[in-house]
Amino acid sequence: MSKALALFNDKRVRDVIYQVALVVGLLALTVFFVRNASENMVKAGIASGFDFLWRNSGIDVPFVLTDYTRAGTILDLFWAGVANTMLVTVVALVLATGLGFLVGIARLSSHWLLSTIAGAYIEFVRNIPLLFFVLFWYFGVIAALPAPRDSVSVFGVAFLNNRGLTIPLPDAPANFRWAVAAILLSWLAQWLVSLWARRRKDRTGQDAPMLAIGLVLIVLVPALAIAWASLATRWDIPVLRGFNYRGGFVVIPEFVALLAALVTYTAGFIAEIVRGGIQAVPHGQVEAASALGLRPVRILRLVTIPQALRVMIPPLTNQYLNVLKNSSFGAAIAYPDVVSLFMGSALNNTGQAIEIIAMTLAVYLVIGLAVSAFMNWYNARIALVTR
Amino acid sequence: MRFLAVTAILAASASMAGAQQLAPSPTLDAIKARGNIECGVHLGLPGFSFADDKGEWTGLDVDYCKALAAAVLGDAKKVKFTPTSVQQRWPILQSGQVDLLSRNSTITFSRNASLGLNFQGINFYEGQTFIVRKATNAKSAAELDGASVCVAAGSTEEKNASDWFLERNLKVTITNFQKNDDAIAAYDAGRCDAYTAGVGALAGQRAKLKVPGDHIILTQPISNDPQGPVTRWGDERWQLIVRWVLNGTIAAEMLGVTSANVDQMKASSKNSEVRRLLGAEGNFGATMGLSNDWMYNVIKQVGNYGESFERTVGMGSGLKLERGQNQLWTKGGLLFTPPFQ
Repeated sequence: MSKALALFNDKRVRDVIYQVALVVGLLALTVFFVRNASENMVKAGIASGFDFLWRNSGIDVPFVLTDYTRAGTILDLFWAGVANTMLVTVVALVLATGLGFLVGIARLSSHWLLSTIAGAYIEFVRNIPLLFFVLFWYFGVIAALPAPRDSVSVFGVAFLNNRGLTIPLPDAPANFRWAVAAILLSWLAQWLVSLWARRRKDRTGQDAPMLAIGLVLIVLVPALAIAWASLATRWDIPVLRGFNYRGGFVVIPEFVALLAALVTYTAGFIAEIVRGGIQAVPHGQVEAASALGLRPVRILRLVTIPQALRVMIPPLTNQYLNVLKNSSFGAAIAYPDVVSLFMGSALNNTGQAIEIIAMTLAVYLVIGLAVSAFMNWYNARIALVTR
Repeated sequence: MRFLAVTAILAASASMAGAQQLAPSPTLDAIKARGNIECGVHLGLPGFSFADDKGEWTGLDVDYCKALAAAVLGDAKKVKFTPTSVQQRWPILQSGQVDLLSRNSTITFSRNASLGLNFQGINFYEGQTFIVRKATNAKSAAELDGASVCVAAGSTEEKNASDWFLERNLKVTITNFQKNDDAIAAYDAGRCDAYTAGVGALAGQRAKLKVPGDHIILTQPISNDPQGPVTRWGDERWQLIVRWVLNGTIAAEMLGVTSANVDQMKASSKNSEVRRLLGAEGNFGATMGLSNDWMYNVIKQVGNYGESFERTVGMGSGLKLERGQNQLWTKGGLLFTPPFQ
């Protein structure tokens, strides 16, 4: 008895007991919920299980990246929704980061007008709900664009109207795959050359003509590759027939509106993170750098931002996760994301509420964990190395 | 010996029948304890279920809920309306948050077979069609090749339209919105060439457009969408009540019983079916566990089906729908009800 008591008084043993008890309790709770739900569903005559995923979907989706058609299964519909969610999230992440950095740096500018405009923008954005942005861009964009018959023509090959932007689509994408491969190779070459140039400078102190090399490898080679691929391909050019343009690929206004809303909204928050990060860098660092004779832009690039990044990454990760979750606002304006397609159309057609909501949650969980794993890796990489 | 046993069993069951041993109805018991009926309705569809600026609900589907309250609780006002979206409607019913749904939902096989839903009759025969701008000069859905169509996601309309255009080899872009209201707003903003829903719903929603006169509802329907009150599986006696209150309002119209003449009909009608319907003869109400004047209360307070139709969606309303299929079978429509016998 006393021996058992002594064991219990050992902190390590006690911790293990608590943790095991917690895990067992959570498992029991889960089992209870699942059993309760399935028993009640059987009693209420509701079919359960994941068999419905292989049923024919029969739902039209106006904007697909996968090879989904209405003849596909509900599982195909699910993937089409996931792809659309990822597309808008990734593009919005990149653009919002860029815009957010610009606004955040402008906010700190000594130029009065610039910093006031940036400050007004930030305050405006942070105090207005996202749904307002989404609806504003959607109905604003649509009201501003003309009907198909009066489309804005871009060199007679692409057409902008309130049904979206119709762009020519290559008949055979093979040439473009080669072009993409060439571009990636040339960017890899640029990276290797810059590594070599830095080593050489460390060793000999000589500068390499990096600007010229960069222009050729980053801009010229890709431009030539794309030009070649475009000329070597037959294009499916949209033509106006009846109600709208036929052929080509349509970038739907829902995508543009959701993207614009996510970017303008998130940029406001990212700008504040950037401002906070930069202000967290002790002013002595800037003074020291200018005492060394560095110009303001180089100070920003070489001294301030690398140190500010360490402060910025964790809150930035939160914002990135918010972009992912906020992309579900697309459902309000018929952007076919996973919420709209799967939790909307598929849920109503099959009625499998529990399974469908669980799968949708899993999508956000998996993508969210992946984003934060990447950001944690990046955070660890740029962290201050102390010995 | 065996004869004796059989007689004993027969005698026992007879005495039980005499004592009104009704099968238990948890829904009915809960309603009586609570003092009102929880009725799931549409978020807002003029003519069917629509709350005015004072919060008063009106409409054909709303009238049915009121009729049910009059039958069960003797007072048509004892209803709590729960507005439900296309996405919420089934879970709200399945989980028991409402006693029934009366909200423009199409009766389909798969909903009946795999969602644990029961459909207790038809209070509106509807056909799906399209609303387009007059300027397009389209006269039928077959002329919509290349058009884009706005629709509520996951509705039967979404699938009907998709099937219909596919069958005819027409290329139509269907854009799915979460709510009917979002879809019609997008149509109004010029995002789509057409918006699709049932004829009744379109007539109601046309009023929400900026310039209703610029739009035309195509007459030729592409589907049949029967609609009526929905209950969940289980509780047969509750289903019986929901079904026969609906039958009762249609039977009353057929028998010429209206809210104006119901007192006189109850007192002096020589038609036995009228007398049974109004509780002057037989114990039809008590058989279901209700008071015997259940249908009298319904007709007195809400009126028969025809009265309700005229007031909410018919010529006496803003929608001005023809009776059409929703006319009695004796007058060329589809409404038919089993006799009260």
